[in-house]
Amino acid sequence: MDIRIMGRETLRVFTNAVKAAALIHLFSTNFFQFNETSGDSMLPTLQVSRDFCIVDKRYRYGRGLRVGDVIMARKPSMPEQWVCKRITGMPGDIILIDPSKDTLSNLQLDGDEENLKLKELKTKEEQENQKNFDQYVIIPEGHCWVTGDNLSHSIDSRTYSVLPLGLISGKLIYGWYIPSFFNFKQHYLRKMDNSDLDIDIDIDNEL
Amino acid sequence: MSSIFRNFKTKSAQAKPLFKYTFNRIFLIASWIPVLYVIHEHVFHIGKIEGISMKPTFNPTANIRDHVLLWKWNVKRPETLKQNDVVFLRSPINPELIYIKRIKGQQGDLITPRYPDTRSKVLIPTGHVWVEGDNVHSIDSNTYGPVSTGLVIGKVGYIVWPLNRIGPVPDGGRECRISMLRNQGLGYGGLGGELTDLGEFGDDHDDKN
Repeated sequence: MDIRIMGRETLRVFTNAVKAAALIHLFSTNFFQFNETSGDSMLPTLQVSRDFCIVDKRYRYGRGLRVGDVIMARKPSMPEQWVCKRITGMPGDIILIDPSKDTLSNLQLDGDEENLKLKELKTKEEQENQKNFDQYVIIPEGHCWVTGDNLSHSIDSRTYSVLPLGLISGKLIYGWYIPSFFNFKQHYLRKMDNSDLDIDIDIDNEL
Repeated sequence: MSSIFRNFKTKSAQAKPLFKYTFNRIFLIASWIPVLYVIHEHVFHIGKIEGISMKPTFNPTANIRDHVLLWKWNVKRPETLKQNDVVFLRSPINPELIYIKRIKGQQGDLITPRYPDTRSKVLIPTGHVWVEGDNVHSIDSNTYGPVSTGLVIGKVGYIVWPLNRIGPVPDGGRECRISMLRNQGLGYGGLGGELTDLGEFGDDHDDKN
């Protein structure tokens, strides 16, 4: 009789655990989610490591997103990976892709170890870089343009082109830097840009 | 005998707090809803098919809407999506709409698109698939290009309604991978990349169709 009661109790604990996990998952998929970020592509907005974020999932699939929002999305070329970038273009915008592309290849280190400086080469390669100012893209319907805040160390839309809005899973509203869990003084919770705005602005009246 | 009286007594004592009893029951049933939701979102789901872009494979008659078993687990990886799978995907044009199309090309394949795509061949990038509807008049990758597998919601396994068509999904659509067309000796030649004599894979505007 003991074993039967233990068995029934274990089953009850197990089913309650499954129900609780499902409820937490439902909440974190549709409302708010707590995630860890890593990488230097969003400096200084997000730190390289130990920076966590709270994602508002009500903005998934591009609902109510504007230019300037920091979003979390799947990478188009590798959908198991998640990327955290800032929207810098919405459908219909004309984007200049990357005027700084390959410009650093023209710079050369000059001088000895103590007085190292960059000497700019004025070769015809530099003149060729002017063509970077001619590469534009018009963002099609249902897509957006994302860039990391740390442009020199970010793989974003300048590499994989426009991002479909269907891949976006939410908007970052808070960043939470947690260097060590128990040392609460060092925690740093801050609001991300645009997280206060949830009013609709009438574009026609603005102009 | 005495045991019968004992049961009768305890049952009538339990009948009094009826409201609490029903509330408990409702709560118990409702507590399974999140679990059902997770299964519906991530494991499988019965999906309804609307529209004509997959005729004649789905919805061949005008007034019956096909229902299919949609498998959602592990489906966003390029490895699980095979050639000729029918998938539900979020539209690249409007993420609130869900399209149903068949995969006709995977990452790395060279594809020959048809109207309205005017290119002679398309290379599918990493993590993307080429989707086409079985019906000629469908808006598919020939309009919006290769689609990231992250937009795929689920893979269709079986037709479950109507009852006379229960079973696995039939094949359909055209072969558009250049490697397969070459192997069949159907000729991919000409300076403009025109396809010559593709037989049954040819232009769907033919009279014989």
